[in-house]
Amino acid sequence: MWEREKITQPAPASPLFWRLNADVYQLLGAKCPDCNHITYPRRKICPSCGSFKVEDYQLSKSGTVHTFCINWTPPPGLEPPIVNVIVDLDGGGRYQGLLTEVANPEEVQIGTRVQMVLRKVMKDRGLDIYGYKFRLEKEG
Amino acid sequence: MSIRGNVAVIGVGMIPFGELFEKSFNDMAQEAFMNCVNNVDKGFDPKDIKAAWFGQWSGGGMIGQGVLAGTSLATILGLRDIPITRIENGCPTGNDTFRNAVIGVASGAYDVCLAFGAEKMRDKPGVESLVAAGGGGGGILGLHPSWMLGMGGPVLQALYATRQMHELGYTMEDYARVAVKNHHNGVACPYAEYRFEVSIERVLNSPVVCWPLHLLDCCPQTDGAACAIVCRADLAKKYTDKPVYVLGTATGVDYQDMWDKHSFIEMLPTIKAAKAALTMAGIAPNDIDLAEVHDCFTNTELMNIEDIGFCKKGEAAALLKEGYWNRDGAKPINPSGGLKAHGHPIAATGLGQICENFWQLREEVGQERQVKLKNGIALSHNVGGGGFGVSAINILGREP
Repeated sequence: MWEREKITQPAPASPLFWRLNADVYQLLGAKCPDCNHITYPRRKICPSCGSFKVEDYQLSKSGTVHTFCINWTPPPGLEPPIVNVIVDLDGGGRYQGLLTEVANPEEVQIGTRVQMVLRKVMKDRGLDIYGYKFRLEKEG
Repeated sequence: MSIRGNVAVIGVGMIPFGELFEKSFNDMAQEAFMNCVNNVDKGFDPKDIKAAWFGQWSGGGMIGQGVLAGTSLATILGLRDIPITRIENGCPTGNDTFRNAVIGVASGAYDVCLAFGAEKMRDKPGVESLVAAGGGGGGILGLHPSWMLGMGGPVLQALYATRQMHELGYTMEDYARVAVKNHHNGVACPYAEYRFEVSIERVLNSPVVCWPLHLLDCCPQTDGAACAIVCRADLAKKYTDKPVYVLGTATGVDYQDMWDKHSFIEMLPTIKAAKAALTMAGIAPNDIDLAEVHDCFTNTELMNIEDIGFCKKGEAAALLKEGYWNRDGAKPINPSGGLKAHGHPIAATGLGQICENFWQLREEVGQERQVKLKNGIALSHNVGGGGFGVSAINILGREP
């Protein structure tokens, strides 16, 4: 089983990871000039209308919670409760992720202002994998 | 050749769904098929089947087998001389498998086709079971793992449930009421996995799986198998005097990823499939007597009822409270108990719904749970797949 896992699981330096670097860390998405749909990660064909003319689009790191849930049964490796959010980003587009640094999940509501921060999100064979999480925007 | 009225269902079969530790995948599949063949009114020779579609979602990972393909069903059912194709289309696999068999007949290519679905989900424990099948929201389409962090079946629907509460004013009590209704229906259904009543209090006091959804808002993971034989309508009387006809069949898709969705109070795949199936059937939602809809979570049933068009958006919960969707109400929804109580063996689920509708339309379910028929039309519906981006619907009727 261990050998099979080793062969089939992508390693941290595997093509999947470096290919998506700009998308993951620079938050580059795509916007369609024909239908204005903003999507993420970058794609060559607009998923909304099928246009081939999509352009790179810089996503913003702040936004408001569009919807959320408080997950008491997360997948292995995560401590409950975690708060899953889908965020309407300022300037368009949405991002799906987790909240971090919430003492009390009840503080989160639809419309709550949040800000992306870079966090360790998982470990893969001893190496840390980073990604964005959201934290509540500081007052003022 | 058009589909409407030209394809008939002449027999269906399934096994009681549940945690079937004592049965193998083969046992379940063979029993469902034998139940189907042995219950065709005027007798049926499996050699009459000219092509088959094998609905199978998990692909063997959950039962320690490499791949389940056409050859698997050929071996299990002893059907080695016909073409067999495996279908995997998320939770709508069962209804989509049926649709493919129907198209096989309607195309003129085959006189008689088999639609078959089976799933063994309980040989591994809950979370492990979904992980083994590559489900639960992990690593689809080469997305970066950080985007899928902490996702899973209940999360996908809880994100909708929160938004339904926000936009439509739905409450956790409204959601619990769906479980109460469907458990009540399940008690009377001999094929249902859960045959016990629940109260609103019991649902709301069950552990929170993913707020706002409680344990008793969630359908189970289930073992089960179900199938249906379809044939040319003009040949149906050879097999039965009471065939049931296919009036409409459709599959609808939309975005896979949650962040592309236009809304979290409705699902476009269902809306598209419903529109296409109803148009093919030439009927309106009001013409339908009963429906089996996809209640993988309680909030999902309310959304589906609205998306199919049985009522306006935002009205399903109030009508539920009035008893409108009850088995003896104006529009019975999930008289079988639904996924919630009948169980959800993914590829078998839609075909189980078709079995229920076949028996209801032929008034064979017994007086206690027989729904009142006006037009003799029933609908079955699933929604699911990556990010709930696929839906399949079949509409059956007593008259062609």
